[in-house]
Amino acid sequence: MNVEIIDPRVDPEPTGWADFVNDRRLHPVWRHPLIRLEAWTARNPPLLAVVREHGRVVGGLQAMVCRSWSTGRFGPAATRRPARLRPRWAEVYLPLHSGYPAAAFHSGVDVRGAIREFERSLVHRVGPGLLGVLYRAMTDDLADAMSGPQRPHRVIDPAAVLHPPATVDEWRAGLGTDVRATVDAIDADPEVRTDVGAGRDDLDASELAALLNAHRARQDARAWAGGQRSRFAGLHLDTRSPVSPAYLDALLRRPNVLTRTYRTPTGRLLGFSTMITDRGTAAFHHWAAVSRVDGGRPGLHRHAYAQAVAQAIDLGSTELTAGRAMLDEKAALGFRDTRQLHTVAAPRPLLGDRRGPQAVHRETPRDTTGHIHRNRAGSVT
Amino acid sequence: MWNSLAYRLWRAAYLRAVSSAFATVPLYRETWALHGRTDPVLVPGKTGSNGGALPADEVRRRLVDTAPLAGGSTEPDPARGLAFLLTRATQRPSHRLVVVVDAEVTRPPTGLPRGSRGCVLHPDAAASAGDEPVLREIVDTLRRGERVLAVGEDKNLDALSSALPAELPPPDRVPHHRIDRLTGGPFGLLHDPLLGYLGVLRDCGRWHVDRRRVHVRETTGGLAFTVLERTSPRLVDVLVGGGVPGEVHACPQHASPVIQT
Repeated sequence: MNVEIIDPRVDPEPTGWADFVNDRRLHPVWRHPLIRLEAWTARNPPLLAVVREHGRVVGGLQAMVCRSWSTGRFGPAATRRPARLRPRWAEVYLPLHSGYPAAAFHSGVDVRGAIREFERSLVHRVGPGLLGVLYRAMTDDLADAMSGPQRPHRVIDPAAVLHPPATVDEWRAGLGTDVRATVDAIDADPEVRTDVGAGRDDLDASELAALLNAHRARQDARAWAGGQRSRFAGLHLDTRSPVSPAYLDALLRRPNVLTRTYRTPTGRLLGFSTMITDRGTAAFHHWAAVSRVDGGRPGLHRHAYAQAVAQAIDLGSTELTAGRAMLDEKAALGFRDTRQLHTVAAPRPLLGDRRGPQAVHRETPRDTTGHIHRNRAGSVT
Repeated sequence: MWNSLAYRLWRAAYLRAVSSAFATVPLYRETWALHGRTDPVLVPGKTGSNGGALPADEVRRRLVDTAPLAGGSTEPDPARGLAFLLTRATQRPSHRLVVVVDAEVTRPPTGLPRGSRGCVLHPDAAASAGDEPVLREIVDTLRRGERVLAVGEDKNLDALSSALPAELPPPDRVPHHRIDRLTGGPFGLLHDPLLGYLGVLRDCGRWHVDRRRVHVRETTGGLAFTVLERTSPRLVDVLVGGGVPGEVHACPQHASPVIQT
């Protein structure tokens, strides 16, 4: 098994990568052209690690190489000689699809071995300045493979999941009266015009990206005020970047991405949603709306979620996910299941260490869960 | 182009602006990383279109992406740069009142010399000759025997003059022109509603670029202007007036950059 790490900004798509993404039915965020667009317009651009066995792609990871939480600069130009001594860390994370892990493997692969090989390759690629790797939003099985002695591990906000019932009526029957009333009111409101389609090329991505970034900033501020879980030592640590219009434009053009927009009769954009319409795992991907103080229409998100559920039922999807925020609101819309997600930190001295979590109990009697956030409980190691 | 120290400093300021825009401003990052640019080339192998310059309409449509990642204003200042060009435009050290008569200019010019005040007047208000506070202020200033300078398009300045009492001395006037409507003077300012004031017609009869605050270069899409002094909104290589072909020379009399369209 070997791991090839490429910079999507300048390196061509690895041989066999598209087939791997197709075989694993990975969401569009794994497509090389989209990773490339994201990398060029990110503060902390991702590297793509391709795991091969006998030359065949059997897994992949996306790792953001982060320089700072507060940098106001995009990632350094790929053509420059990297500053190998500069302190940096890597986050295996999908910042634009945070309910899913940034690691995917074919079944039957030795995931633990692949992860450790990835870590060794990353150390070689980034250089002595690499402080460690943070595996964020990992599912149970992946987190288990990434865990080990002295690797802090904690449970983070879960992703909302809905297993679509057989019919829309069945789903509606489980909703509260106020939720149904909101959805029906927007359907009947002549001041709200909606249009929907897959693979859309008729939208102004700049307009949508501006709304999405404003919405994210508003949500972040609210989460920060509410004591969000990513808080650490009183610092606001955010390695994400604004969504670029070029990325959004390419995403919306994909045939398996359904985009719904809400506008006033005069054409003013009120909100939009995107949905990944895979038959296996569908995902309610992006949602953004104009705030109420700026003239937004309350309740649009409920309508958008309702339409997404109806679409998932039509498609016959086995599950529909809806991200990690506002779980109570999503539960009211039927997303009553959750998928447990974990964050595992691997400090530099342990990168490549093959020992598993069971070694913790053999070697260190103390509690090594070492919560990354001291004020949170919930370690599962 | 001339090879003076002033030119090298001008060029260095432009290169810094390009580098900063590529590293921090979403619009230029996206455009130049994905499509490329020239002079300087930032991503080898990509030349983009028009040397990486963007039409002013496109920049205006995407103003939200012209603020750096660290944050900043996305509101353009159409009166930017006026104060620094007035002395050369009028050949007077200062005026008591500077009035900009233009529908696009909504905020008074800043940075005027001590003792000068700036204000804006909508052309409709100038034409209506109603009880407009700015008109009253102009009349009062003229009655005190102090100088008033009016800046705007010719037709708007004419409307202002006709709205003032005939017994008063007329205000000084400097017309401003879009790049696609440059005239021969004798006075004039080069103006763009997005970038602000870009240059001035000097006594040599040539259109001089405000080289301390503005850079201009020739591209296949026309003359591309860069505002050097303002970082948000960051305006780099903007094809004003829809892209007007032209050349950049050194003025033989003043040894500073002039444009010829």
